[in-house]
Amino acid sequence: MSFLELSGVAKSYGPVTALAGVDLAVESGSRTAIVGPSGCGKTTLLRLIAGFEAPDRGRIALDGKVLANGGAAVPAHRRGIGVVAQDGALFPHLTIADNIGFGIPRNADKRAEHIVELAYIVGLDKAILKRRPHELSGGQQQRVALARAMAMKPRLMLLDEPFSALDTGLRASMRKAVAELLEEAGITTILVTHDQAEALSFASQVAVMREGLFSQVGTPRELYFQPRDRMVAEFLGDAIIVPARIADGFAVSRLGRIAVDTKGRRDVARIMLRPEQILLKRTSREGMSGTPDMLFGEVTDCEFAGSVCTVAVRLLNSPDPPDAAAIGNTPLILRRTGMDAPEIGEIVRLTVTGKAHVFA
Amino acid sequence: MLPREFAFRGSVLFGDRLVDDSRLRFDPPECHIAPLPPAGGGDPAACLMQSAIDMMPAMLPAAGMKKRRSASWITLAAALISLVALLPLAFIVWVAIQTGWDTVVALIFRPRVGELLVNTVLLVVVTVPIAIVLSVALAWLTERSDLPGNRWWSWLSVAPLAIPAFVHSYAWISFVPGLHGLWAGVLVSVIAYFPFLYLPIAAALRRLDPALEDAAAALGLGPWRVFARVVLPQLRLAICGGSLLVGLHLLAEYGLYVFIRFDTFTTAIVDQFQSTFNGPAANMLAAVLVVCCLFLLALEVMIRGEERYARVGSGAARKQQRARLGRATLFCLLLPAGVALLSLGVPFVTVGRWLLAGGTEVWRWDEIGLALGQTLFLAIAGAVLATLAAMPMAWISIRAPGPLQRLLESCNYIVGALPGVVIALALVTITVRVALPLYQTLFTILFGYALMFLPRALISLRASIAQAPVELERAASSLGRPPVKALWSTTIRLSAPGAAAGMAMVALGITNELTATQMLAPNGTRTLAMAFWSYSGEIDYASAAPYALIMVAMSLPMTWWLYIQSKRMAGR
Amino acid sequence: MKIALSTLAGAALALGLIAGPAKAEDQGIIVYNAQHESLAKEWAAGFTKETGIKVTLRNGGDSDFSNQIVAEGAASPADVFLTENSPAMALVEAAGLFAPVDADTLAQAPQEYQPSTGKWVGVAARSTVFAYNKVKLKEDQLPKSLLDLADPSWKGRWAASPSGPDFQAIVSALLELKGEAATADWLKAMKENFTAYKGNSTVMKAVNAGEIDGGVIYHYYYFGDQAKTGENSRNVALHYFKNQDPGAFVSISGGGVLASSKHPKEAQAFLKWVTGKGGQDVLKTGTSYEYAIGKDAQSNPKLVPLTDLQAPKVDPARLNSKKVIELMTQAGLL
Repeated sequence: MSFLELSGVAKSYGPVTALAGVDLAVESGSRTAIVGPSGCGKTTLLRLIAGFEAPDRGRIALDGKVLANGGAAVPAHRRGIGVVAQDGALFPHLTIADNIGFGIPRNADKRAEHIVELAYIVGLDKAILKRRPHELSGGQQQRVALARAMAMKPRLMLLDEPFSALDTGLRASMRKAVAELLEEAGITTILVTHDQAEALSFASQVAVMREGLFSQVGTPRELYFQPRDRMVAEFLGDAIIVPARIADGFAVSRLGRIAVDTKGRRDVARIMLRPEQILLKRTSREGMSGTPDMLFGEVTDCEFAGSVCTVAVRLLNSPDPPDAAAIGNTPLILRRTGMDAPEIGEIVRLTVTGKAHVFA
Repeated sequence: MLPREFAFRGSVLFGDRLVDDSRLRFDPPECHIAPLPPAGGGDPAACLMQSAIDMMPAMLPAAGMKKRRSASWITLAAALISLVALLPLAFIVWVAIQTGWDTVVALIFRPRVGELLVNTVLLVVVTVPIAIVLSVALAWLTERSDLPGNRWWSWLSVAPLAIPAFVHSYAWISFVPGLHGLWAGVLVSVIAYFPFLYLPIAAALRRLDPALEDAAAALGLGPWRVFARVVLPQLRLAICGGSLLVGLHLLAEYGLYVFIRFDTFTTAIVDQFQSTFNGPAANMLAAVLVVCCLFLLALEVMIRGEERYARVGSGAARKQQRARLGRATLFCLLLPAGVALLSLGVPFVTVGRWLLAGGTEVWRWDEIGLALGQTLFLAIAGAVLATLAAMPMAWISIRAPGPLQRLLESCNYIVGALPGVVIALALVTITVRVALPLYQTLFTILFGYALMFLPRALISLRASIAQAPVELERAASSLGRPPVKALWSTTIRLSAPGAAAGMAMVALGITNELTATQMLAPNGTRTLAMAFWSYSGEIDYASAAPYALIMVAMSLPMTWWLYIQSKRMAGR
Repeated sequence: MKIALSTLAGAALALGLIAGPAKAEDQGIIVYNAQHESLAKEWAAGFTKETGIKVTLRNGGDSDFSNQIVAEGAASPADVFLTENSPAMALVEAAGLFAPVDADTLAQAPQEYQPSTGKWVGVAARSTVFAYNKVKLKEDQLPKSLLDLADPSWKGRWAASPSGPDFQAIVSALLELKGEAATADWLKAMKENFTAYKGNSTVMKAVNAGEIDGGVIYHYYYFGDQAKTGENSRNVALHYFKNQDPGAFVSISGGGVLASSKHPKEAQAFLKWVTGKGGQDVLKTGTSYEYAIGKDAQSNPKLVPLTDLQAPKVDPARLNSKKVIELMTQAGLL
């Protein structure tokens, strides 16, 4: 039995269905990310877990104890679940020390020391304890919110897009720091975000949500390389999806013959490759005269953006297009390092590494 | 920039006086985002506009650029107007000096003053907390619970403002003839003035970030403790501002307490005025009253402190959830229904009853028409004057803020906080003693109105000038308009709606003003309030009823506007 | 927006033209009227009808007007001053601001209703009464004298309107008749015993409602109310103290022409009309129920005749309103 179990959790607001019956299992001490476009229901799910709202249907259990079952729900303040909101939700009328100590009983032993210790843990200077929230930067506010939530020693920590308001650089370092911190404290964590890179890098389990349902739940790798459908694939990153004929562990498509990750035999299916699986090598029109199953293309566009550049490549020879008419000759959009940006009009040879993923 | 707090600080009113507190402190230097405007007052509308200014991006550009020459004469004009505004205060000091210390002591330290002080203090100390509790409860029910018809109840909680305080009292005394004394005073005062608290508190509740309450719940606090530790502290500014407003009204109100026979400083000053015209006894009572007002202003500044309860962070606030009342719904409905019954039902039923009893005979149209015409004339002329007088101050406070400007602006707010009776007494005495040609003239009464209601006009103007960034004016200049034309085609046009709103608020204040009007009115003047007062003084309640009805009818649209405005501002 | 502003300004201007209260148009004579507004209106209307001279009334109280006139001095805009009581007239007279009243006007009023100086003239009179609640008080429980109300047995049982000039006039009579010390003592006892109301009508209303046993007011409030609906006097009866008691004081309402008047002729004519047949008939037939004092004038037949009141003799010119206010302020009544 998992630490946190959700089964058939549903919630509607009037005619709008926010959650349409969600199942999820979270292991103790793990990190789970719930990712999806805005309005997909991920924040609602978090609020139901936190106990801010009660589900219409379904069951939520934490560590074997039922928190919500249908409309009956344990209120938030009796759940012992920590929450860090998008902007920290610091109490503007209290000092930083009082914010951190908000959940600690006033007569608790060594309360002040505890607060200082928490501030230290989240990397805050002692000097800011006397300040007010509005005097802090966004990153500091998030740290205070985290310390405040950790003060109650929660069994489960819910993070509601806590990094989205931060600058790009700060975001990554905060994310790493928080992940390590919670890991050390042994606190099970659920992160809600719309940023797929954040979800993939933060969590050991990622759930992609769409229109109130989980499209797929799994490890970051599973989701990235073996998405269940096109939507998941494209939500988590750029994807090259082409029709192919599958046979004997290989797919034959206009990209040539590529190993696939499924043994099942099917005649025609769509396969997915991540752009980084396709390597480019400079050559020339003369160099094209190689073996027939080599793949060549012409660079039709190249957008330089510093460390990377985005390259559009139009295939020049397509060994075996199953339905060329439907595909046309749409250029492939690929990436390579900026240092190595090709010129428009250059001829490149394309090679595929790794296996292609076959959509069910 | 961070949203600024919703500053409902002291200014005025609506019933019959406008008072504005000043921001008596200067902003701490680290507060450099935008110069905090001198606290908008408690005038509900004014405060709303104030909050609009607070939301504006930094208004600093003017400070950075080379001051234009025009700024200096505008500053001069503002300084002059502020000095003139201080006349009544200076006058009271002058009378005290002239009267001689011994007489002052004899007139101030006597048992009667003690009695009045006890009465006045008790009135404030009992009324304000009751009004706070009532307003918080009503605001919570209408804004944060699923009370059926909460929008409707919310409007009904603001609507009592449309009824002048003395009409409330008139209604109650017709209803319960024996009503008198402290508790009667508390009852009618709470009913007449609680909307001054309800408006800012409801607006603040609407603006609270629900994430804070969620956070507190997640930290293990039950609903009541969340309310006490998170919600209530964030209402502090609203409560402070609203309380100041109510307190200043309690000090300034005359008619209300005459009906129910409760003596306060203001009624005693009027008594003395009627017995001795401008004798030293009246002036010394006025001095004590002024001290009381200043004390309230200072107290509010102290309690309000330097704290800001802004929403920290940049994300959009989530929509608030409304608490489910469940089986308590019916019980909870009793509160707004009861309050509406007492604050609206009683006046409307009473006025209706007297109108029925009086029949067509009480509608003396020639008399009513004349009173209506004179009232409108005074109201509009006073509003125009107050707005004109406020213009230089408003302009420099937005375009050339600085310590001098804040000092000047504080002067205006302090004067606005003084009861009408004090200003009127000072003006009567000044004109009689040193400016006799002005005595009892239209000029003097309009001047008095301008002093009393200047803060209302000022706050509206400030807000609207703030809506017209100086860049527009410069853009107009760069497109070839000469300075005056540039000013006209940008700032003046853009600030006109705000100025009009401010004028309407001033006009409304004048319409329902009684005390100062009685003392300052030129010969032959009879406003609606004066006619109402004179009939009800002769116990001819039926003849007074049409005037009450007209005053309420004139105030209702403004009250409605105020209500809409508060919804809009807080709903951002 | 500009339109809104200019519309407002235009409306203000237009209204000013129509209703402007302080326009310099001809206001006729300006009367500072401390008498009941309804009575003064009737007088003014009757006078204007007969003579065509316009009358502008400024309504107020005895004390504020008298003090105001003194403060205004020679620059007072007033032409005529009408009061409810004599002390206010005495105050203005003492300041030397009255012009002598025309002899033929003085001849219309008996000697006892005008000051010896001839600076002003009585225009009407009213009697002090003890209005009591018939249910709560039997006749034998009534006070014999105004002074009895100082007795502790009356604590909390009687009312007055101390801020009004009527009651202050009664106190001034007491002061004139009994001296300063006795008056100060009585006022002190009064402060202990009485309940303050604002206005004599309100006192009577409270008596009628049984809120209080009785109150010291003037007679005509009762008759006025009886003539209307009786709603505020149904349970009220009047007790006249008589016996030259200070409580039997008959207060003279006065009228005078100001020395600074810019229309002295018209002002004198007004006073003459008020004290003459026209003005005095208004008292007899109108709704004021004040006593007519003209030589051949009749008061309303419903009233107890003036001659039966056994009022104390008080020289109206000697009534000292300043001292009264001072004593009342000292006693904590004001």
